[in-house]
Amino acid sequence: MAGFKAAFVNEMVKLLKKKKLIAAAILSVLGVLIGQAAVTAFQAGFGLRIAGSTEFPLLVLPVFTYTILPLFTTFVAIDMFNGEWNAGTMKLTLTRPVSRFGVFCAKVGNIAAFILVNLLFIMLVSLIAGFIFNPGSSGIVGILRVLLAYLVTFVPIFVFALLVVLLCNVIRSGLAVFFLSVLVFVGFIAIGLLYSRFSSFLFTSQLSWYTLWISDSINPFKLLRQTMLLSGCGLMLFTAGYYLFDRRDL
Amino acid sequence: MEMAKAIEIIGLNKMYSNGRGISNLNLEVDEGDIFGFLGPNGAGKTTAMKIMVGLMRPDSGEVRIFGKSVQHEFVDAMRYIGCIIETAESYPYLTAEDNLKLFARYYDDVDQARIDECLEITGLIRYKREKARRFSLGMKQRLGVAAALLSRPKLLILDEPLNGLDVEGMLDMRRLIKRLNEESGTTFFISSHLIHDVELTCTRVGIIYAGQLVNVEYTRNILANYASLENYFISEVDRSGRI
Repeated sequence: MAGFKAAFVNEMVKLLKKKKLIAAAILSVLGVLIGQAAVTAFQAGFGLRIAGSTEFPLLVLPVFTYTILPLFTTFVAIDMFNGEWNAGTMKLTLTRPVSRFGVFCAKVGNIAAFILVNLLFIMLVSLIAGFIFNPGSSGIVGILRVLLAYLVTFVPIFVFALLVVLLCNVIRSGLAVFFLSVLVFVGFIAIGLLYSRFSSFLFTSQLSWYTLWISDSINPFKLLRQTMLLSGCGLMLFTAGYYLFDRRDL
Repeated sequence: MEMAKAIEIIGLNKMYSNGRGISNLNLEVDEGDIFGFLGPNGAGKTTAMKIMVGLMRPDSGEVRIFGKSVQHEFVDAMRYIGCIIETAESYPYLTAEDNLKLFARYYDDVDQARIDECLEITGLIRYKREKARRFSLGMKQRLGVAAALLSRPKLLILDEPLNGLDVEGMLDMRRLIKRLNEESGTTFFISSHLIHDVELTCTRVGIIYAGQLVNVEYTRNILANYASLENYFISEVDRSGRI
């Protein structure tokens, strides 16, 4: 994959220069702080104990995985593909000595890095917030559980990102891709709730699969099955997205 | 061993659904040529150039750059090429210098000194820390030229390189083409609608009409038989239009 490294670094430079990451980070911090404020107010008002220091990150995680994180991932993916097609800057990369597979992998790799960094950032902030506002019971095991939960959440979000990438390469308009992505996301969740028999086939129902990984009794076969389903889904989406990207005439 | 041609276009076909496109295009450009690619609007100039740099797939046929097939050995072929296709784009949120730094990563031998040199050649060195968003059309064009020159390519494919340039810019551009051709032996493949400029710059001229190459001739031979390139162009296009 000649030229992949250069393309990967370039995509990262472009991503960082556009201040999207910073916006995402600020919004994430705000989200965590508001969540924490709500929890603290609740505790004070009702005298209930809702979340301990390492429980708090796990309280925050589903909120992010169903809202801000897929939203920002969609933005970044649309910007990398439709944004560049429409601005005419895609050809700047495609006329350099780098294969289209290299360019595609560089873009997808950066989306993956974006998701991972965001997750780890949210984890850190929520851990710190948890320790500040609810100091108390927590150990290294608790922190490791939190880390595991955040790391495995990467997988379903990344599969969703690959779906968005596929849509980016099917549809020309970035706005249309955005609405379709939101529609698919919400639609899949709704289908998963209405027809729970099929829910295990939809990657959206795996957004909370971290609970399987950190539960007290781990079911290895279920984990294996879900991992297989998610990776199969991801591979198909990646291949379809790359096929369209490679065939595209400018 | 026979030296590979700078450009070999072999049996190139590309049809759009509207019936336009290029059909059975065959062309050879020698190393050291400044080749002018002329044709009326919609004749297929840009289509041919897009296929030459791999932005578009031909329905059939092949383009070889110094013996490397753009369709099958894309990365190797692109090491020889610098290009501007349609419009000279740049990343508007980056400075002129940062734009070039991005492209420099694809080549082992392009360093900061070379980046500055390219900015100097195109007269942008004073604006190197300014974001491309604030650039005028002509300055964007210059930045596009700097980006195309960056890797010291053996072949420069320029689609309407004079777009947006003022008179001084045009003169600079013409001088630059001549100089690179003479000093480094760079081959040029240039499309332009400014026929007078092609006459002054190009050593060979090919005319494309309705997707087909109608004639290729050395400029000095044309000027021996016609008063100007314009007369030749009109007579060729006229002749093809009648057939």
